[in-house]
Amino acid sequence: MRKKRTACLLLLPLFAAAALSLLACGSVLAQSLGVIPAFGLEEPTLDYYRDALTSPAFHSALLVSLRVALLSALAAALLGTVLCAALVRVCRARGAMVSLIRLPILVPHTVTALFAILLLSQTGLVSRCAWALGLIDDPGQFPQLLFTPGCGGTILAYLWKEVPFVAYFTLALMAGVSATLGEAAENLGASPLRSFLTVTLPLSLPAVSQAFLIIFLFAFGGYELPLLLGATVPKALPVYAHLAYMHPDLRQRPAAMALYGVILLLSAAMAALYGLLTRRLLRKIGGGR
Amino acid sequence: MRRNVLLRLFLAAAVLCILLPAAVLVLWSAAARWSWPSLLPERWSARTVRELLFGSQDLWRLLGSSMSLGSGAAGLSTLIGLLTARAVSLYDFPGKGLVRFAGLLPLLIPGTVFATGIHLVLLRLGLADTAAGVLLVHVMTALPYSIAILTDVTAALGGALEEQAAVLGAGPVRAFFAVSLPELMPGVLSSLSMAFILSYSQYFTTLIVGGGRVKTLALVMVPYIQGGDRSLASVYALAFTGSALLVSALFEALIRHWQKRGDRL
Repeated sequence: MRKKRTACLLLLPLFAAAALSLLACGSVLAQSLGVIPAFGLEEPTLDYYRDALTSPAFHSALLVSLRVALLSALAAALLGTVLCAALVRVCRARGAMVSLIRLPILVPHTVTALFAILLLSQTGLVSRCAWALGLIDDPGQFPQLLFTPGCGGTILAYLWKEVPFVAYFTLALMAGVSATLGEAAENLGASPLRSFLTVTLPLSLPAVSQAFLIIFLFAFGGYELPLLLGATVPKALPVYAHLAYMHPDLRQRPAAMALYGVILLLSAAMAALYGLLTRRLLRKIGGGR
Repeated sequence: MRRNVLLRLFLAAAVLCILLPAAVLVLWSAAARWSWPSLLPERWSARTVRELLFGSQDLWRLLGSSMSLGSGAAGLSTLIGLLTARAVSLYDFPGKGLVRFAGLLPLLIPGTVFATGIHLVLLRLGLADTAAGVLLVHVMTALPYSIAILTDVTAALGGALEEQAAVLGAGPVRAFFAVSLPELMPGVLSSLSMAFILSYSQYFTTLIVGGGRVKTLALVMVPYIQGGDRSLASVYALAFTGSALLVSALFEALIRHWQKRGDRL
């Protein structure tokens, strides 16, 4: 009994923080339903959601965000797994190389955006290298990656941070599996590639898929990179929502909050879907054994 | 063997991708003229360094406010992380899944929604647009990472050592500080380091919750990145990233020092 009370006391600050987080979501949802007593709005309504969901500007913003999140997370999961395998295989998951791979995780998104501008713009370093190699003779011939609806620059900038993140997130698990079961498979005669593909990789997948969810949700709700590298039209959903939130006419507030509400609910739905899918997948793997 | 060659090439490409932007940042911050298609700056100047040190922004005050917010957030997040880790690893109670969910919550809520919503809550508490409010939000952002790091090390250490100390007559507080804390130190230091970096890098949360009154280096840097002056943007980014990595390297050195000490004992 006493022990339970001590545990409760220890958990008090965490629960206070969690309560604040839930209140934060609750406040956004309440305002998105048009309940702002300070403005004299008290009757909840779904009108703001209906307006948001039927506006063409919202559709293109949603598509931009989904496209950036999906492409960057998929490519980062793939390349990050290869990077992780290289770290395990070549450096035994230790040493200066691992510290170096950690660097991009520590660099904030705003600085990453500047890197993208310095390297990928039409007068950036990559374009200069293309000129030096004789591939182009005018900056205008270099593909436009920044501030375009295609969001190539935004996706590449996310990759710069997320590929190392996936590798770092998966490293401990993959190093452990590779040193035990992976080596056992090789001792029994499997080639390194076969041992990796049939033993090490499947057993490391839980970490890879968790990393995928984290970076997908982050990129979907992320503000800095699409703000600094995205097109003026269409904007990514969070940038579009923040612009609506900053509208000087306070009567526009519930409409902006409905956009945030959509971001929140979609993220929650995707996290729940992920939980459902992985649970089913893990049960399948468990049942096949 | 051939596969290892491919993997080595991949690693080399990764190293190039990581280091090249840093090199370009240094070159741009010292470039006076660097027009297309030159691969190196044509003329150099110390203009940006002068602007950084003596220009319109008070660099030292910005560094001071960023560093104190970061240190405060690191300390508080690590403290709460330690309390949570102890409760989860050393005590038996129903509903541990709920605790894990509560710890992960700020990671699951999209950053823009979280910042905007918590600003509404802090408005009601009278903490909006204050340094205390920004500190609170930075702590909440760092907390999932501190909890994850400290739960790992606390669970690995277990409670047996403290029980032995208690049998020998030490009170619970003394048992923790004399027996467990030294063993947990590497985890505590990496939690401090991670939370500091997270707080130091916050842009959107500081912008919304601080309401423009709380200024940090991460905040004032962004308009320079949006503006056209690549040299000035680079020098700010260099000062910002350099100071952050310096603190991180300091923590890494402390962790290594502590681990060596542990090996000697």
